[in-house]
Amino acid sequence: MDDARLVERDVVMTETKIAARNVQVYYGDTHAIKDVNVDIQDKTVTAFIGPSGCGKSTFLRCLNRMNDTIDVARVEGDILLDGEDIYDKQVDPVQLRAKVGMVFQKPNPFPKSIYDNVAYGPKIHGLAGSKADLDDIVEKALRRGAIWEEVKDRLSEPGTGLSGGQQQRLCIARAVATEPEVLLMDEPCSALDPIATAQVEELIDELKQNYSVVIVTHSMQQAARVSQKTAFFHLGHLVEYGETGQIFTNPNDSRTESYITGRIG
Amino acid sequence: MTDIAASPSAQPARTKSSLLQLDARTKRRNAAEARFRLYGMIAVAISVLALVFLLSSILSNGLSAFWQTYIVLDVELTEEKLDKNGNRDPADLAKVSTFGYAPLIRDAMEAKIAEKGIVIEGLEDPEDLISNEAAAQMRRFVLANPAVIGETVTFEVLAAGRIDGFFKGRVTMQSAERDSNVSPEQLMLAEAMKEAGTLETRFNWSFITWPDASENRPEAAGLGVAIIGSFYMMIVVLALALPIGVAASIYLEEFAPKNKFTDLIEVNISNLAAVPSIVFGILGLSIFINFAGLPQSAPIVGGLVLTLMTLPTIIIATRASLKSVPPSIRDAALGVGASKMQAVFHHVLPLAAPGILTGTIIGLAQALGETAPLLLIGMVAFVREFPAAPPEGFFDPAAALPVQVYNWTQRADPAFVERASGAIIVLLVFLVIMNAVAILLRRRFERRW
Repeated sequence: MDDARLVERDVVMTETKIAARNVQVYYGDTHAIKDVNVDIQDKTVTAFIGPSGCGKSTFLRCLNRMNDTIDVARVEGDILLDGEDIYDKQVDPVQLRAKVGMVFQKPNPFPKSIYDNVAYGPKIHGLAGSKADLDDIVEKALRRGAIWEEVKDRLSEPGTGLSGGQQQRLCIARAVATEPEVLLMDEPCSALDPIATAQVEELIDELKQNYSVVIVTHSMQQAARVSQKTAFFHLGHLVEYGETGQIFTNPNDSRTESYITGRIG
Repeated sequence: MTDIAASPSAQPARTKSSLLQLDARTKRRNAAEARFRLYGMIAVAISVLALVFLLSSILSNGLSAFWQTYIVLDVELTEEKLDKNGNRDPADLAKVSTFGYAPLIRDAMEAKIAEKGIVIEGLEDPEDLISNEAAAQMRRFVLANPAVIGETVTFEVLAAGRIDGFFKGRVTMQSAERDSNVSPEQLMLAEAMKEAGTLETRFNWSFITWPDASENRPEAAGLGVAIIGSFYMMIVVLALALPIGVAASIYLEEFAPKNKFTDLIEVNISNLAAVPSIVFGILGLSIFINFAGLPQSAPIVGGLVLTLMTLPTIIIATRASLKSVPPSIRDAALGVGASKMQAVFHHVLPLAAPGILTGTIIGLAQALGETAPLLLIGMVAFVREFPAAPPEGFFDPAAALPVQVYNWTQRADPAFVERASGAIIVLLVFLVIMNAVAILLRRRFERRW
């Protein structure tokens, strides 16, 4: 691990974007998330690490209410986005998900053209007034997804025909096309080779200029490389949350230390 | 792990074996595989044989229905027989029944025999070579064109069923001796007329376009009304079963909560697919005809009954194809902020479309060939009138292809056996066309993800 990089990195204190208070998640009778409190900051990359089944993906999916699609899942406690409870009865998850975008573990482009993949979100949210507007939005999103140069000559080709790494960057472009405020990434590099991973990580680093990025990862190196804040989950508990440098070099909790040194997990 | 490492001597001693020599276990495995392949090939061979046998028997029996024997006659439409008053009053013309035309046909036949110089010992009733349909054909022609009365008109009329059968090998001189409907002399006359060129066998469009005919004139029986009836029923089935079935499946698969009640519905839909079709006929009879008061023998009722039958097939096929769409597509759509309905209609449904179309066409094909429920709602009636154009035509009496087959196999004249097989060929052609359409649509819409 590149300790020098960690120490040099300056963390700019910014305002809280998402605040979770006493969040409990149940899958039927299983208590999957136990009493999680966390403040996720704006324009920051926050990494969730922890062993498999510790609840980090579950918690991530709570942040844009993707858990709503699972019948047996139940969420208690408050999750505030800019001070507003996203589980309030008046909140439509569709509006929420336009603000909180998501990139999934496996690249999942629609079986449509590259252009349509990116244009779909802006279209259904009415972000583009004209065809020219839409073209601009698509180009901007693809540029932000760092894939424009590779696909600009074949926008009408199917998105599923791209390579795995390109597909994932296309999915990131699709997620940023709706101008979200928060970008959730659920192990975005687990299906990618090291080169594609490096490209995506570079991209995440750029994205933090505009968004609050929350990334779930199994790779501690990746968490150390891309994030400013790290949260360690274990058996449904948020064990420790703090500056990435501090978590990796001087953890407070013995469980965190055991995990990052490879003794558990 | 550890105990193996600790006691290597516990492992059985390995005998040296050559790769070039099969051991007993491998031989047994290979033999089992060879046996299984043999069973598979036998099973395939049996089904192929059965299919070949079925097709060859239907084709050999039924293809001749598409050929028909015609006789060319010059008939003098005498005024004294057809219009005694001479004023061409349509009401008076209509009073002359087909019996009034019989003497004209007899005269024309005798004139023809004399003209061709045919002499046959002991020939009686030469006009029996002509189908009863001929008089009806002439009457229709005269009623439509009263001006031809008094002239001599050349008609091409159907030969009687027995004569037609003679040229198709169904009737022989021997069988004619025992047959009260035809005599060997008449057969000889038919042969002589064929040589003289006034009798010919040619392709029979009227088998497809004409309506059914009565018991004693199989040569005039056609499938026209049955084809239209079946077509109307398929329209009704498609218009009702596809939207209802797809809507029900989408709701059950994508929106409905998973609980005991939806489980119950699911089980019942699967069971409906296995309900004997005649039960749907009873249902149709009691609900659509007795309760709702819809007319009997009408394509609308047949279509409704077949819709009920087809729904489970469509629902099961649609749900299977919706299930086969990977959940990552739904996640992707929801993730960019699509509503559930947008996710389903923009992304899931297009991917499921090939499966839905295939299921629908399979359901339609099933409905097209269904006979039992139609018998109960009166589609078995003898219908000679063509139903009107839709939508009124849906309420007019009509026949259906499979019921027509059933009907013809019930009749005494052996000529109807040939007709029934011919009708089966027409039915099979429709089924093949529908399946081809299903495959084409599948190819056209299939997308990979």
